[in-house]
Amino acid sequence: MTHSANPQQATEKSLEAMRKFSETYAKRTDTYFCSDLGTTAVVIEGLAKHKDDYGSPLCPCRYYEDKEAEVAAAYWNCPCVPMRERKECHCMLFLTPDNPFAGDQQEISVEQIRTETNQY
Amino acid sequence: MSAAAVTDATFKEEVIDSDVPVLVDFWAPWCGPCRMVAPVVEEISDQYEGQIKVVKINTDENPNVASQYGIRSIPTLMIFKGGQRVDMVVGAVPKTTLANTLEKYL
Repeated sequence: MTHSANPQQATEKSLEAMRKFSETYAKRTDTYFCSDLGTTAVVIEGLAKHKDDYGSPLCPCRYYEDKEAEVAAAYWNCPCVPMRERKECHCMLFLTPDNPFAGDQQEISVEQIRTETNQY
Repeated sequence: MSAAAVTDATFKEEVIDSDVPVLVDFWAPWCGPCRMVAPVVEEISDQYEGQIKVVKINTDENPNVASQYGIRSIPTLMIFKGGQRVDMVVGAVPKTTLANTLEKYL
């Protein structure tokens, strides 16, 4: 990959929690993972890492000046307010079927996630 | 030519003081759309070689520049010309969108 700063992976416990959450939430909201599951894998890893580091799965596709304050504010904790209100996930984890990037999957395994994120 | 990494420390020299327009890719680890847009940024770098400079900056490691330019959603692709921010596109955009935005500043 072109972006390589050797980012740290999450713990297996948090990864599994966020993986299960992502599957359940996609099914409940009739949304789908990206047709490129590598994108899905990276985002789930990011959510789990934030859960490890800050106690909540803060969206990994935002820049925050103060991550602890953002976790407390809760707006960008996954599922974020725009997702809950309007099914808008700019991280491309949960895509409505009409989104050109949407695939047909609502499940992803730990192996699929780590096969992708081990490359970073 | 691939997009070089810049930092808080080198941003002024590499971006602000550049003689040619600069495309800056603000990204973060474990950001899915950043991963999607990275190859697009590389293609743009090849296509406009000699006309623009293309760089990337990790917002987690370089919070000063990210804060200074008010980065929120990532990826954010920002265009600088003559030391000034002149335009930006947010999110994983198709190559044509990015190219059309860039063309205005060549």
